[in-house]
Amino acid sequence: MVAVKKSKKTHESINNRLALVMKSGKYTLGYKTVLHSLRNSKGKLILLSNNCPPLRKSEIEYYAMLAKVGVHHFNGNNVDLGTACGKYFRVSCLSIIDPGDSDIIKTLPGDH
Amino acid sequence: MVKFLKPNKAVIVLQGRFAGRKAVIVRSFDEGTRDRPYGHCLVAGIGKYPKKVIRKDSAKKTAKKSRVKAFIKLVNYSHIMPTRYTLDVDLKDVVTLDALQSRDKKVTAAKETKARFEERFKTGKNRWFFSKLRYDSNVIRLSLIKSWVKQEKSEERVQTVGGLQ
Repeated sequence: MVAVKKSKKTHESINNRLALVMKSGKYTLGYKTVLHSLRNSKGKLILLSNNCPPLRKSEIEYYAMLAKVGVHHFNGNNVDLGTACGKYFRVSCLSIIDPGDSDIIKTLPGDH
Repeated sequence: MVKFLKPNKAVIVLQGRFAGRKAVIVRSFDEGTRDRPYGHCLVAGIGKYPKKVIRKDSAKKTAKKSRVKAFIKLVNYSHIMPTRYTLDVDLKDVVTLDALQSRDKKVTAAKETKARFEERFKTGKNRWFFSKLRYDSNVIRLSLIKSWVKQEKSEERVQTVGGLQ
C-alpha cells in the first residue's frame, strides 16, 4: 500500500480540528493517560507523532485494535504535535475523549 | 471504545514475581476498591508451564511433564498486557476475593485452578495459553498476531520488565 503524501491542505485542517478539540473538547496527553483512556474505553481517537518510539507506537496500536479505536499517525514529530495542541511542550501521543464541537472523529479514521 | 479487560481475557503479567507469565482475567474491578483505588483485576495464571512431551515418553513421564502450577493474584491494569486471546475456563466459583484472604484458602483455590488448567491443557485446546512466552533477558518479546485490515500480520513487540532476570 503506497502511503499517500499528505497535502498541505488536509494537514492544516487536522491542525484546525485539533485546535477546536483543545478548546471545546476533552483530551489527555501522554502515553500513560492514553493507555488509561484505552483501558476504560473512554478514548475515541488516538493521535501519535511520527517520532514516537516504534515499540510504544505498536503497543498503543495494539491496545487500540483491542478497543476498536482509531489511531491517527500525525504528520509531524512530537514538537509539532505539541504546537498543534497549543502547548509549549512536546506531545508524543494524545487521546481524544470528547471531541466537543469538532468533527475530527468522523473525518480522521480513514487511515488506521 | 470497546471494553476489553473483561473476564476470560488472556493477559500477560508484566511486573512482579510472575512477570512474563500468561494469565486469564477472572474478575475485573474497573473503578477500584477502597483498598486499591485503581483499576485492577483478579487473575489466575500459570506459575510453571507444562513441559514438552515427546513420543517416547512413558505414561508416567507424560503425566509428570503435563503438570501445571497455577497462581491467583490481584494485579493492577498497568502491570498487565492484554492480548487478543481468550480462555474460557470456568474459574468464577473457585477464584474469588475471599480465596485471597488466608494462606490455606489461597492454596486450595490454586490447587483447584491447577486441576482445571491441566484438564484444559490435556484436551489440546488453547495451545497459545499453555506455551511459554519466549523472551530475552530483561525484555519480554511479545509475538502478537493482529488481524489488521483483513490480513493477519505477525508483529513482534518488546517491552521492558522490571526485576526480571
